[in-house]
Amino acid sequence: MPAPHEASFAGPESRDAAEALARDPGSLNPSSVLVAIMIVGLLLTGLATWAASRIDQSTEERLLDVQTRQAATVLSTAISGIQQPMYTTLDALALVPSEDQRRVFSQLFGGEVGPDSLYVSASLWRSDGEVISRVSSLGVPPGLTEGSADAREFLDRALTTEGVVVRRVVVGEQTRIAYAVARPDNGWIIYVERAIPANRRAPVDRDSAFAELHYAIYLGETTDTDQLTTTDVDPADLPLDGLTSQTTVPFGDTTLTLVTAPRKHLGSQLSLWLPVALLFGGLALTLVAALVALKLVRSRSRAEHDTRTITTLYERVDSLFGEQRELFVRLQRALLPQANPNIPGIEFGAEYVAGAVGIDIGGDWYSVIGTGEGTFAFVVGDVSGNGVDAVAEMARARFTLRAYLLEGHSPATALEMCSRQFDVTVDGHIVTAVVGIGDQRTGDVTVAVAGHPLPLLASPSGAEFVQLPIGRPLGAGTSSYEQATFTMPPGSTLLCYTDGLVERRGEHIDAGMDRLARAVMSAVEEPLDELIASVIGSMQAEGTPDDIAVMALRRGDRTTRLEADGATPAAARTFVRQQLESRGVASDALVDDVVLATSELVTNSVRAGASHVDIRLHLGDGRLELDVEDDAEGWPEMKSPPKDAPGGRGLSIVHQLAHSLDITRTTDGKRVTVTWLLADAARVPTP
Amino acid sequence: MAQFQESQRPDGTSVLGVEGEVDVAVVDELIGRMRDSLDRGQALELDCSGLTFIDSSGLGGLVLVSKEAAAQGKAFGLVNVHSTALRLLQVSGLYDTLVKQDPQT
Repeated sequence: MPAPHEASFAGPESRDAAEALARDPGSLNPSSVLVAIMIVGLLLTGLATWAASRIDQSTEERLLDVQTRQAATVLSTAISGIQQPMYTTLDALALVPSEDQRRVFSQLFGGEVGPDSLYVSASLWRSDGEVISRVSSLGVPPGLTEGSADAREFLDRALTTEGVVVRRVVVGEQTRIAYAVARPDNGWIIYVERAIPANRRAPVDRDSAFAELHYAIYLGETTDTDQLTTTDVDPADLPLDGLTSQTTVPFGDTTLTLVTAPRKHLGSQLSLWLPVALLFGGLALTLVAALVALKLVRSRSRAEHDTRTITTLYERVDSLFGEQRELFVRLQRALLPQANPNIPGIEFGAEYVAGAVGIDIGGDWYSVIGTGEGTFAFVVGDVSGNGVDAVAEMARARFTLRAYLLEGHSPATALEMCSRQFDVTVDGHIVTAVVGIGDQRTGDVTVAVAGHPLPLLASPSGAEFVQLPIGRPLGAGTSSYEQATFTMPPGSTLLCYTDGLVERRGEHIDAGMDRLARAVMSAVEEPLDELIASVIGSMQAEGTPDDIAVMALRRGDRTTRLEADGATPAAARTFVRQQLESRGVASDALVDDVVLATSELVTNSVRAGASHVDIRLHLGDGRLELDVEDDAEGWPEMKSPPKDAPGGRGLSIVHQLAHSLDITRTTDGKRVTVTWLLADAARVPTP
Repeated sequence: MAQFQESQRPDGTSVLGVEGEVDVAVVDELIGRMRDSLDRGQALELDCSGLTFIDSSGLGGLVLVSKEAAAQGKAFGLVNVHSTALRLLQVSGLYDTLVKQDPQT
């Protein structure tokens, strides 16, 4: 039995359970979940933002390249705008007389030259093959000194080059771009200079190809500030930074290098703002996901905690119920008889089975009482309801009935007297019972029934329920009872039981009674304990809620009473021999010894003056018992007579034949019980 | 219950055959028969081949007559002892006293 549960319920176990809950490794740590969600969210946000920004940037690069190419195309056409009037003038000069050539040059170029015009200076030169001389000049003096090697070198380049030659000249503070075209066939050369603003800045038309760009144009293929010709930004801010594009454009016999940067975002606004939107949207989503997850984790861990608490409480309750039920069953069993009285000629067997459901036990009981020499009483009863108070009521009913029966009252009278003492309105229970008394010698049994199932009398030839009126249960008011007397044939069995054995839910009670009769008949010749076990086994439904008490008594067929005279020993020997043979005792030597012992003991009884002798054989538990009981006053003595003495040997011979010999005084005589252990039956004869 | 057959051998020994069961109800008749046979011969041989049962009452009769034979100087002995008689004689320690030791076997 475990320690009382009061000690353990509020004891250290509870704290252990709480600690176990706290350190349960299955619980999620909210902060680690948050960190994980934040990391994943930030990673995704960063990735998306980076990707969108990369896409935007490559779009910008592509758009810038496209615009730059357009600008370069515009720039490349500018050379023909410069070159064409110069060629036109050269062609016209070839057609006019020499005296008109200056005038024509002035007319054709005059409008283009001036401080605010396209060119600051324009001049006409002529090569005669050896000397290059200036013929005419418009605007400011050209940055090309007549007769200088520098002039010679540049103008020769124009004479030998098809198309415009270009170079940069510095005159004083002013930087200019110089252009020259020549007709080698007649040696005419036109030379113009175009001023570059001091700050190199040139406004950009709103609808030009440069409208959306910052730009810097350099003469030649380098981006040295010296070579800068035009820009729309402060030259101090050059070179252009950020996203730039660079391309070169043929320009006369040299090239221009164009560097551009976008003035503003070239692509769509969506493309510009998408990375930002993704960044802030992702951060917001991450935050929301983290908060939702935090909430979920918290509610889940609360639910887990609740579940564990409930489970723990449930197990605790279950175990308490189990302990309580075990206690009740022990109490119930303690109240049932542990050993049946030894009544010669009558075998008793009984079994109690606790119900299968619930913690409570019922109030079923059985009881066997030796009421005097050769008589006995028995009760099988059932207290309604269950629980410990039903068991207490059972004890009261049991001992009340027992007292009346011990006083010698008949079953009907005992029940009637009991009925005055039980009241369901006071006790809360009714009690049903079958009460009987019996005579071991005659096999006569008298029973009365108070609201209880009728006993079943069974023998190998058949089984039938004892027929008598069923009186009112105890507790239902003072009542009288009828009783029935019948004789149990030798070898027959009387079965008393509680309704738990025959009742099944949804089945009429008669069907249960029929099943019981069949169950008993199928095992009626088995030893009593096996008969009871077999009946319970076949009758008990799965999960039977009610408890069951079964008691069986069997009239032995191995008892005989003989009137004492000279023929009694022979009759006793015949009885014993027949009984042993019918029981299948195989050993002839054992049969011979039992027969001899019977003869000796019966002879002693007859000689002692007995009027009758009762003989009983009991076979079971690995032993064989012979009872010889008489009503003679004498007391047998064990003697060791001399070899030549004619008598006095009987008892000592019996003692040598058997395993043990006991003599018991009875009210009117004595009983000699001789026991053989069956394992010793195959003895070798004493030499 | 028991039957007796008496015969005489040429050497003067009386042979009394006992058949059936011998107990307190029969022992007096057995004693009478044995005494008659003993009177008629020089010795008494009790043939137990037909004796199916004997208890200490019968044994007492045998002891009684064997003492009387000894007093008369006549030999007394049981032959063909078996089953319950043999068991009883062994248990009671009277086998050697009552069973005739046959010198020929």
